[in-house]
Amino acid sequence: MSAAMRALVILMFGILLIQLINLQVIKGEEYQQEAEINALREVPVPANRGLIYDRNGVLLVQNAARFSATIIPGDLPDRGEAAVYRMIGEAIGMPVSEIEAKVEEGIENQGEFSPAVIKSDLDRETALMLLELEPHVPGLKVDVEPARRYLTGDLLSHIMGYIGPISAEEYAELARDGYLYQDYLGKTGVELTYEDVLRGKPGKKLIEVDAAGRELHTISERRPVDGSNLVLTIDLELQRRVNDILREFTPEDENAAAAVINVHTGELLAMVSLPSFDNNVFSGPISETDLTTLIDAPGKPLVNHAISERYPPGSVFKTIVGSAALQEGIASASTTIVSRGYINVENEFDPNVIYVYKDWAPLGALDFYGGVAMSSNVYFYYLAGGKADEGFRGLGEDRVAQYARSFGLGSPTGIDLPGESEGLVPDADWKEEAINEPWTIGDTYNFGIGQGYVAATPLQMLRAITAMANGGTLVTPHVVKEYQDSLGDTLESLQSASSTVPVDPGYLQIVRDGMRQSVTSGVARNAAVGGVAIAGKTGTAEFGAQRDDGTYQTHGWFAGFAPADDPQIAVVVFAEHGTGGNDASPVAARIFDYYFNGGGPINNPGDAAPTPEPEPTDDGSEDPSATDPAATDGVPEPEPTVVPVPTEPPTAAPTEPPTEVPTEPPPTEPPVAPAAILPDRRVPPGGGP
Amino acid sequence: MIEARAIRHFDVILILLAAALVAYGSLLLYSASLNAYPDVNLSHPMVKQLVFACLGVGAMVAVAWMDYRAYGQMAAGLYALAVVLLIAVLFVGDSAYGSTRWFAFAGQQIQASEVAKLLVIVALARYLADRQHQMDDPRVFGISLVMMLVPAGLVMMEPDMGTALVFGAIWLGMVTMAGAPPRTLAIFLGCVVALLPFGALLALNDYQLDRFRLWIDPASDPLGGGFNIRQAEIGIGSGGLFGKGITDGTQTQLDFLQTSTTDYIFSVLGEELGLFGAIILLALFTALLFRGIRAANLAQDQFGRLIATGIVIMILFQVFINVAVNIRLVPVTGIPLPFISQGGSSLVMMFVALGLLEGIVIRHKRIEF
Repeated sequence: MSAAMRALVILMFGILLIQLINLQVIKGEEYQQEAEINALREVPVPANRGLIYDRNGVLLVQNAARFSATIIPGDLPDRGEAAVYRMIGEAIGMPVSEIEAKVEEGIENQGEFSPAVIKSDLDRETALMLLELEPHVPGLKVDVEPARRYLTGDLLSHIMGYIGPISAEEYAELARDGYLYQDYLGKTGVELTYEDVLRGKPGKKLIEVDAAGRELHTISERRPVDGSNLVLTIDLELQRRVNDILREFTPEDENAAAAVINVHTGELLAMVSLPSFDNNVFSGPISETDLTTLIDAPGKPLVNHAISERYPPGSVFKTIVGSAALQEGIASASTTIVSRGYINVENEFDPNVIYVYKDWAPLGALDFYGGVAMSSNVYFYYLAGGKADEGFRGLGEDRVAQYARSFGLGSPTGIDLPGESEGLVPDADWKEEAINEPWTIGDTYNFGIGQGYVAATPLQMLRAITAMANGGTLVTPHVVKEYQDSLGDTLESLQSASSTVPVDPGYLQIVRDGMRQSVTSGVARNAAVGGVAIAGKTGTAEFGAQRDDGTYQTHGWFAGFAPADDPQIAVVVFAEHGTGGNDASPVAARIFDYYFNGGGPINNPGDAAPTPEPEPTDDGSEDPSATDPAATDGVPEPEPTVVPVPTEPPTAAPTEPPTEVPTEPPPTEPPVAPAAILPDRRVPPGGGP
Repeated sequence: MIEARAIRHFDVILILLAAALVAYGSLLLYSASLNAYPDVNLSHPMVKQLVFACLGVGAMVAVAWMDYRAYGQMAAGLYALAVVLLIAVLFVGDSAYGSTRWFAFAGQQIQASEVAKLLVIVALARYLADRQHQMDDPRVFGISLVMMLVPAGLVMMEPDMGTALVFGAIWLGMVTMAGAPPRTLAIFLGCVVALLPFGALLALNDYQLDRFRLWIDPASDPLGGGFNIRQAEIGIGSGGLFGKGITDGTQTQLDFLQTSTTDYIFSVLGEELGLFGAIILLALFTALLFRGIRAANLAQDQFGRLIATGIVIMILFQVFINVAVNIRLVPVTGIPLPFISQGGSSLVMMFVALGLLEGIVIRHKRIEF
């Protein structure tokens, strides 16, 4: 019997031994490989995202990690959930019932095996405590996501942009560039434009992991290459001042934009769009409702109004028409045109129908300088459309459009920011196609004073003015100056591409003189400051439907540069629902004053406070127009309510057909409509101060 | 109760073999718990195991000291105690890994079936020894079968399929040793094999069918139930002839192996000490079992012989099933490796079993002069 039992022992252990030999000797190598695959894992090593500095080296963004406490319901112990909840609750200071509710909500929404977020945005201390607990508390998972902390918040949000988790579409496109499903990338601003530079090159390492995937040792590593740092062209202090000044002059929820550019390099020193938003809200999970609120907020804070929205440029556009007229021989500096406050145009087919195009005042006889300085609509009606009955040949809409394009309108400026609008330069073909109506002489007149269909972004107008200021170079505005490595050494300096506008520098000098006169004695006097000679052009652009009292809503513009004789910077200011003289010009004055005089109270030689209506300056010492009789002749009366008496009687008055009014303005943005000859409106059409 | 001269018959080799196994197991325990217990102190599993081994030796001496025939007098009571324990554990026991097997007692967990196995061996031995001349009577065969089936059924309800099988093996070994007619045995085994598919459908619950499925194809649930089957196989296979060295097994040290101090401790051995280490272990067990068989041979009466047989079969089957699970010869079932796996009740009861064997050896019939 005992022999049988011994045999049984030998038999059973023999079976075990055979299988052991099978596993360990015959298939041993296979299993050895499997054990290695088990324990070794190749993981990506993310590169540190490049930092961003202002032009003076002030840090604008930091890299941070964002921690959230989550629970994977499926990993919770069978009966120990309460203990897990209690431990987590103690760590993050949340009642167990609330945690329970969140876990249940998570199960309902996304199932057992997706992490339910219990608390996001943990502070560092709590996060570290939870990370320590994590291996011992089944179900607890601490999520770590890369985040950017923008130190300047809403001051630079339109320029900086923000990063966000890669979307399914982006992933499909970028996966072969080494992007991973959990990656973050730039969504807008320079974070998007310079994604390639900021991102760097992720590395790889071979690590030994335990069964839970936790890293134990690094076997080998290819180190990541950190992203390069960006140096902006923006001067943070200037940006802050421009922002403060613009805010002061902008009513709540109204749009406004201002930008300052170096006229030689195209470097933007400041660019502000109001209202703004804090880009830090995008660093973390943002709820659908919060996002919708932000998108639908009054004034559209997410939109960079300096580059993404187009507006009728109004009288600022006259600088382009003026340059074109000089270059094309339509006008010279001494070309004198008399503004009686309006011009009449006969209907092509019925001479009894006469349209009236108004000036903002009967400005009298004006030479070219006076035309620019006083922003005479009539002057530029002549230059753009001519006056057939007087034998004055104008540029015609084709050439106006051609020069507008050569000054960069109608196409993106090429700024290194996403979301730029290309604006609109109309011509006969465009109107035929878009509106299905033939181009009329009235369209040319409106075009000539920056009204009607033409539309541009504030940055496009700044770029055009910059070309006038620097003698004809059309620069590409940009916000990034150079790339640096982490030691602050320059890797690459960005040069802006440029082209030349087809206008003789001598003619541009005439336009600049006109703009200078506008600030010293013309309609842009509110832009003047002491200590620096400023040249500029205002615009008060009408838009929308005519109101009951016959007026329109207006946008205010100022575009100018300084010093007038050796321009360094150019400034554009745009004020929605404002005027050029009273809203945009004083903002520009304050910006110039800060830039050249270091701030302090505005030392306006004419008037300390913004004047409600343009007044002639009495300081004519350096006024180039002082010797020009036309300029003084055309000065309007200071009293706003007094109807200026035209120098010639309005002969066309009786023939003015009111029934024609509705046919002339285009459906969307009505230009200066034919109207009654008597200048009954305080704010003149198009060419306001 | 013991005569001084009987000390001479005390089987020292048996004790040394058990001590060698405990030492071997401690080495493996040390390696398997290196991550969880980097320092060796009083709460270290290896230290606890050695403390239980000392307790076990004490229990062994006490059990050996008393004449084993006295246990025969108490057989009915011991059997009743076994059944009560197994019923009670279903109601007041603690659970782990989906089954209810443990009593909490004085801060320790006591596995009821470990105690019950020995009690049932003693009771069966008494019943079969009393009827050693009536073994042809099918009623004896039937009653002994029922005596096994009651505790085995209760163990199945925990559920603990492996231990239930051990009960079956013990009974089969003991009735064979007791002289059950080979014809009866053959008919019985034939019926069991024939009814196996139906019995499986009735008796096995989803949990057990699941384990069976995973045994056939661990890849069907590679991160769930199949994970450990696969990782144990990889661990042992990658150990090769001589292993990766103690504390150097990646599967063990990187926590790929679960329950590496209890049911899967053989995988630690296979990975870190290789085929060579496994052969040493099996050799130690073979020697130990041969000493047990020797005890059955020497027993002065049928009662002692049957107890020794039951114990030998119990140890043999536990070793076989445990190792077979580790090397994927049978579906997963949680059975400790005797003397090796971490677990106080198993270790102490193994020493109690050795105590019974020693008690039989020192009272063997060939009295020397």
